[in-house]
Amino acid sequence: MSEQLTLYLHTLSPYSQKAELALIEANAPYTGYQVDVFNKPEWFVSKVNPVGKVPTVAYGGPSVNPDEPSAASSKITESNVILEFLADLYPNSGLLPKDPVSRSKVRLFLDANSKSIEEPLYAFLGGAGSYENVLKGIEVIQGFLEEDADFAVGVHYTIADASISPHIARLRVITETDAGRFPAGMGIKLGEELKGPKFAKFTKYADRVLQRASFKQTFDQEGVATFFKAFYARAQ
Amino acid sequence: MPHEQITLYTAKVCPYAQRTEIALAEAGAPFKRYEIDLGNKPEWYAPKVNPASKVPAIAYGGPDVPPENASPESTKLAESLILVEFIGDLYPSSGILPADPVQRAQARFFIETVSTKFSPNFMKFASGNPEGTRAALLVGVDAIQDLLPDGVKYAVNDQYTIADIAFAPFWARLNVLVQKGIGAYKDEERKSFLKALEDPKYAKFNGYVQRLLARQSFKSTFHEDVVAGIFTKRFGLAK
Repeated sequence: MSEQLTLYLHTLSPYSQKAELALIEANAPYTGYQVDVFNKPEWFVSKVNPVGKVPTVAYGGPSVNPDEPSAASSKITESNVILEFLADLYPNSGLLPKDPVSRSKVRLFLDANSKSIEEPLYAFLGGAGSYENVLKGIEVIQGFLEEDADFAVGVHYTIADASISPHIARLRVITETDAGRFPAGMGIKLGEELKGPKFAKFTKYADRVLQRASFKQTFDQEGVATFFKAFYARAQ
Repeated sequence: MPHEQITLYTAKVCPYAQRTEIALAEAGAPFKRYEIDLGNKPEWYAPKVNPASKVPAIAYGGPDVPPENASPESTKLAESLILVEFIGDLYPSSGILPADPVQRAQARFFIETVSTKFSPNFMKFASGNPEGTRAALLVGVDAIQDLLPDGVKYAVNDQYTIADIAFAPFWARLNVLVQKGIGAYKDEERKSFLKALEDPKYAKFNGYVQRLLARQSFKSTFHEDVVAGIFTKRFGLAK
């Protein structure tokens, strides 16, 4: 693969972190560029992604500065589409297994992650979702995990691990700082409940996946905590 | 290369299930087809095949058993889009997955657009949900047309892919509903939707959907009478 790959990202975005994780785990060369999503540059909206969101990949075309994107590069958006794209670009990386049944299991995990983790967690954080749905969702995901598993599916790091770990990390920020628009104390309570034996399998997997070098490299713990406290401040 | 047995649990009315049937037809794959009556599901279906109790589902591999007696040894898979990718992986010669990773990504993005901008509005329209307006349907049509390249037969290029497979069953059902006036919406909404589509700006979209409906794998898996009958029973006729 000699085509250039530029990832437009933001360190606060769990979705762009998914793409970074997959790139690093695949040992893929890439250029990362942080876009100020709170104050979008005009060139980003007109030349890279009309919806203005990260992550966006610009693939191929001439070597240019990220803030002077070429019309000749292919623009790819939507975090799960990007994860599949990276697995296609790097078929021997293990990002997706080779056999069809195992690939389907990774995709079922991605689907469960969207419905059972992403939706309930951010609804809870934003004050619109229930505490119970977060726990129910974690139980669903836990059902996919093998006992003592290093990885979400099979014996190698896949896009399943990349897709869930940014959200697990943010769940931990919520349970450690209580930041969020839910009633005060519910974040701490969530953390306490997750420490119980019922969630042991999930907690073990979570501890492991957050220890990976690729994860530590791409997660700004302080930045996310500060952002959550400010953006999701409780009404007084 | 011989594959393991495939048993597909499906329903003629269901657009999600038809996606899987089209993919199997494109692949020329042998499989056992089992119709699930969605209004009266067999009590063995959730415990033995799909705990979510939905169609489509596939039981793959394991011993050769009757569909009503699915073996614990077969792998159970669900979710229509995952099943379509599975069939593409099992049968690469079907061509439903483009060879080029960028075109694959374009196909998957097209599918995202169908899922977020078209299919939710289709069900809202059919069921008479006040958000299911002619305008909402046209948002979906516009979003899809914006993605269609010029001068090619299908959504990504001249090849029929997972993108087309994802969209065709939904378009076909909306088309039946609006042509026949079936659904819990006002007849005025239906007429003005059809009128809007006559605008020359939708030429590319109209050409595309005509090709979708003409595709053999679509025709052989679409049961218009069943769709019309069940939707009429469920939603009635437009007033």
